[in-house]
Amino acid sequence: MMSRNVRIVVLCEDRQHESFVRRFMREVGWNTRSLRIARPRAGRGSAEQFVHERFPVELQAVRSKRGEQAYLIVMVDGDSRGVKGRRESLGEACNRQQTEPPRDADHVLVCVPTWNIESWFAYLGGETVDEARPDYPRLSHERDCDPFARVLAEMCQHRALRSPSPASLQDACDGYQHLFV
Amino acid sequence: MRRARLTAVLNARFVSRQYAQGVLERICVHNYKCLVDFELRLQETVLLLGSNGVGKTAVLDVMFGLRELLAGNVKVTDPIAFHPSTLTRWQPQNEQTIEIQAVVGGDRFHYRLAIEHTEGGKRSRIACEHLHGGDTPLFRCELGEVQLFRDNGSTGPTYQTDWTESALARVVPQESNQRLTSFMEAIRGMVVCTIRPALMRAESTREEVLLDRYASNFVDWYRHALQENPASTVAHVESLRPVMDGFNNVHLRQSGLDSRALMFDFEADGGSGRPGHSTLYKLRLDELSDGHRALVVLYALLHLKHDRGGVLLLDEPDNYLALAEIQPWLVALMDACGETLSQAVVCSHHPELIDYMGADCGVVLRRGPSADTSAEPLAASVSDYGLSLSEIVARGWE
Repeated sequence: MMSRNVRIVVLCEDRQHESFVRRFMREVGWNTRSLRIARPRAGRGSAEQFVHERFPVELQAVRSKRGEQAYLIVMVDGDSRGVKGRRESLGEACNRQQTEPPRDADHVLVCVPTWNIESWFAYLGGETVDEARPDYPRLSHERDCDPFARVLAEMCQHRALRSPSPASLQDACDGYQHLFV
Repeated sequence: MRRARLTAVLNARFVSRQYAQGVLERICVHNYKCLVDFELRLQETVLLLGSNGVGKTAVLDVMFGLRELLAGNVKVTDPIAFHPSTLTRWQPQNEQTIEIQAVVGGDRFHYRLAIEHTEGGKRSRIACEHLHGGDTPLFRCELGEVQLFRDNGSTGPTYQTDWTESALARVVPQESNQRLTSFMEAIRGMVVCTIRPALMRAESTREEVLLDRYASNFVDWYRHALQENPASTVAHVESLRPVMDGFNNVHLRQSGLDSRALMFDFEADGGSGRPGHSTLYKLRLDELSDGHRALVVLYALLHLKHDRGGVLLLDEPDNYLALAEIQPWLVALMDACGETLSQAVVCSHHPELIDYMGADCGVVLRRGPSADTSAEPLAASVSDYGLSLSEIVARGWE
């Protein structure tokens, strides 16, 4: 009997993050039934806070998972703080909730698109990207990220991002290869 | 059919209230739909969980079929009882068995029913039907040969009976078989229901002791409750007032020579907000929304149990309800257990029910590699993951 068994929890800021991660995971072979999405209901203002508050809970849940291993994928925009700053703030969120911050053995992938996810879309659409630039255009619909998810999946299969690649995307791809490949 | 109903009514009136409180402890089913060597242990409140198609409703179907069989309403092959089509498709055996263990009035009963379906389902009969109270035999029927026992286990009369229906259902209540009678009363008093508002008739031409599988005869059942215990309808009305905006009262109104329609009185202030300027209006049951009809039944099940208490088995009571109405009803259900109800068994997938009931009384049904269904307590607890129980279930991590 097929019953649902979630293997990947996707913790993200908004529907655009969700749409991109979900489509990418589908492209690399994961069934959507294996994914559980956790994202805030409110607008973007509280989204970052939601991810930080939720992160320790989801981290602990994945650590506690019995049976088949579960994974946690976190996506939070880097904005001005970048990859390093976001990792630090997520670690601090764990400390505040008395949860041990992520360690190497954890099945956690932290993706920090910088400046934001639109920066990645610009890169995947063929542009050379400046991660300090906050104004890459947003997509009309979340679903419009589909071709970018396919491009990234193909790059991941060949383990080669086009140069020059955004450092935040390279970091996420390294984490993906380490965790899933 | 009519004779059987009359028997049930007479039996219900014969039995005094001390017999009424019954609790199912164990249900064993073999070779019925997806239930093979299936055992379910029950507490006072139970929430049945599990994937679609795992057999939650089949458990309720078994209990409904058994109730109807023991109420003398149907023969064993009736579509709502144990028709040959209910045999497990992947099992070669032709015999179905149903066993229940129940405590009624402090007496622990064990009932066993075996049904044989032969000649490709063309012939079906009750192979055996046994009832024990503790270690004492109270009733035995083997292939239509009945042996009655008295309450103390001494043998009573023997006789032949029709093996296509329950011989136990035909036993006349007497001073010498009060234990048997109390068991029968508890089983016949079970409510097994999936509320389907669209099927509920607004008019009644007679009283009905038993609510049917989809509450379509609710008004007949309500009419009986009103006759038996008018005071209990007051509690029902009180429970509905905060739930249905503007609702005042409910009553039966003559709508034909023999028929009565269930009417609901409402009051609307017409938007003026001024006292004394409200409009009174009436709606028949079938003019209420599906959600309101469901609420009427749900609260009736808690308050109109004829003061006898009984076992309530409900399939997805959350259907049709506004989210805000689910938990208040659950709280009322829990309060009713041990008062107007002796036991509540609820099937649901709804997060509100899972989070409210799951940790204490959740039982998960699963189908194993051989497609047979098994039941086990919901092992996961909120503290395991730091997630809500419904979230754990949603992930399949329970």
